[in-house]
Amino acid sequence: MSPSSSILLQDIDDVWTASELATSQGKVIPTGSPELNAQLPDGGWPVGALVEILQDQSGQNDWRLLLPALAKTTGVLTLVGAPHAPFASALAGQGLNPHRLLCINTDMPSNRMWATEQALRCTEVTAVLAWLPLARAEQLRRLQMSAAEHSKLLFVMRPVKAQNESSPAVLRLITSNPAQGDALLVTIFKRRGPPLAQTLVLAARPARLGALLALGDLSTPCSMEEKIADASIHTFIEKLSTLQRAGIAPGRSSRFSVL
Amino acid sequence: MAPLPNPSMHWIALQPLSPEGVDLPNDFVALGWWALQFSPKVARVNVGMGVAAGEVLVMEVSASERLFGGRTRLLACLFQSQGPAVPVKYARGSTSLIAISRLALTPNPSAPNRDLPDAAPRVAPDDLPLETLAAALPHLGTLARVGCTRWGELRALPRGGVVRRFGLDLLDALDRAYGLKPELYPWLVLPEVFEAKLELDHQIGAAPALMFGAQRLLKNLQLWLQLRHNGVLALELGWTMDARRNTATQGALTVRTAEPTQDIVHLQRLLGENLAHTQLPAPVLYLHLRTLQTEKLAGKSASLLIEDLQKGDSLHQMLERVSARLGTDSVLQLQQRADHRPEHTQSWRPVFDASKFIAQNQIKTGARGIKGSKNGSSGNQNAPTAFSATSQDHQLYPTWLLTKPMALLVKNSIPFYLGPLTLLAGPQRIEAGWWGPAADDGDCALRDYYIARNLQTGLVWIYRERLGGVAKSNASDTPWYLHGLFG
Repeated sequence: MSPSSSILLQDIDDVWTASELATSQGKVIPTGSPELNAQLPDGGWPVGALVEILQDQSGQNDWRLLLPALAKTTGVLTLVGAPHAPFASALAGQGLNPHRLLCINTDMPSNRMWATEQALRCTEVTAVLAWLPLARAEQLRRLQMSAAEHSKLLFVMRPVKAQNESSPAVLRLITSNPAQGDALLVTIFKRRGPPLAQTLVLAARPARLGALLALGDLSTPCSMEEKIADASIHTFIEKLSTLQRAGIAPGRSSRFSVL
Repeated sequence: MAPLPNPSMHWIALQPLSPEGVDLPNDFVALGWWALQFSPKVARVNVGMGVAAGEVLVMEVSASERLFGGRTRLLACLFQSQGPAVPVKYARGSTSLIAISRLALTPNPSAPNRDLPDAAPRVAPDDLPLETLAAALPHLGTLARVGCTRWGELRALPRGGVVRRFGLDLLDALDRAYGLKPELYPWLVLPEVFEAKLELDHQIGAAPALMFGAQRLLKNLQLWLQLRHNGVLALELGWTMDARRNTATQGALTVRTAEPTQDIVHLQRLLGENLAHTQLPAPVLYLHLRTLQTEKLAGKSASLLIEDLQKGDSLHQMLERVSARLGTDSVLQLQQRADHRPEHTQSWRPVFDASKFIAQNQIKTGARGIKGSKNGSSGNQNAPTAFSATSQDHQLYPTWLLTKPMALLVKNSIPFYLGPLTLLAGPQRIEAGWWGPAADDGDCALRDYYIARNLQTGLVWIYRERLGGVAKSNASDTPWYLHGLFG
């Protein structure tokens, strides 16, 4: 076969290879973090599908991961079985109107399932966050079908040991915290496309808080290789400029001082 | 010969068939309301003794034929597509008395089904037997001996003689039967308040089993609501125990909705949820349903755009349903307060008023009652703007707040929460609540807040109590509390 007539499989539009991410599956909401957007099919959280977030403790990293995306949406946001009460001032500071929140607190797993399904069927609700530690695969499938039928954002938080169970979710990720530093580690082990081999490291803090922590010699994710004890003048100048960019003028008496 | 009756009037006479177990009085009322959908001239006629005993419903539909697209289409609508809920037998005629007579001649269908063609015999008015004319019943014997057994024969008798011998009533009835005099009845009118009773077939001891009876009453309610263009705001389902077996006690259950609604499925669900929580002290024999409050329905304004077509339940219905099942304390919304103490800044209250929740969110909803649409736009406007100030500073607050601060173990002046905590940033001093008496608005808060970190949970928000206004120099005595979690 002459080389001019050989066509690479990747060049044909209608052929999908297993190493590609799926595209144009539906509406997405951008996550607010460019690294995470790049790794998700279509560049954001899928609307009308179940997204599973697994973590060690309930409430450990939920708002860090989801708040930037949820702040851009409108409509009622329902929390089912939240581990603690959300703090309205903090949410407002990051751009989410706390009056949108509807908290449904109930302990029995069957009631939580039922309440999640009712919330998904409501027209005014745009996103549902549910903490369902004891969910089974067929119950999750029902939730996924409800979410698809009514085109809602659905995030289900479960413990890490559910990783080995099968689940109908289109996107499953594990969030954790590193031993050192304040980063957010995200492992995507199921998505429409090949699973992500490496762990994503995200900063995922609001600007003001991130700058404050950086001032306190907490390593920022992009410089995880730096030694914390490095007190060179360059690091200091870098951190000062980070502060200035975030709008905090060093030297003025701010409420927080660094220990 | 006198002219034949005027064919432009079209009367239909209906009688519900009564198979076993059908509740006759309620069904007759429901039949009357169903008939009111097609014509405003519906009346209940008591036929008295005779072949067609009992009560008969007559309706005059000639004025509605044009609306429904012709006589045949109207009949198809009446008896096939929007047929009555109970099986009926019917007959048609140019006057109501002809229809009633033909109804008496109609045999009861052995297997009643709705697709039955017009089984009433098309008997000419002159050939109708006299025992089907109610006014002739007292004089049947005399008329038979005179040789009159049919309407035509009675009509052939001289009018003056009939009046002198049998009275004016008979002649009047004959004139009305032949369309020479107008027929007036007290037309059916919908009551102002819906009330219906039902006697159950057998005693019911468990409250959820009352739903079956309640569903039949709800169907009548739906008819009534549709005819009056009303939505129900509050209704009451009551039950009475059998007076012979127990001391006759009663019970009732009130169901309220935030918006006037005609949606019977939603009301059924609400009643079902409420009945699931109810205990009956004794078996129940009678049920009754009553509307306490109704309102005119404004109607939904729909959109022609496909993306605006929202399918799903409305927020009101969802909130009511979830509150009914999980309890009103389970569904919470934010209520803010101006206070420096973090736990007093917000309180999560049950959503009592779904309309206010929607107004605060400035969500556009669909149907509202007429009153709702006037008040909805002037919702609480203060709420969103109060949070926009100093929002940059608020980014330093934790996203989860514990309702009650948790006391931490302190070892060697290091607070412990699943591991030793390292303080990262602080202190933020909050002193508030010292002006009121302790019982009034909570306690005085003298706190220094710090952001701390530990290996297991990440960032936490802890504070140290400054008791008595003086920071204790001996750090091992200061109590540390956990108040919030970041993330």
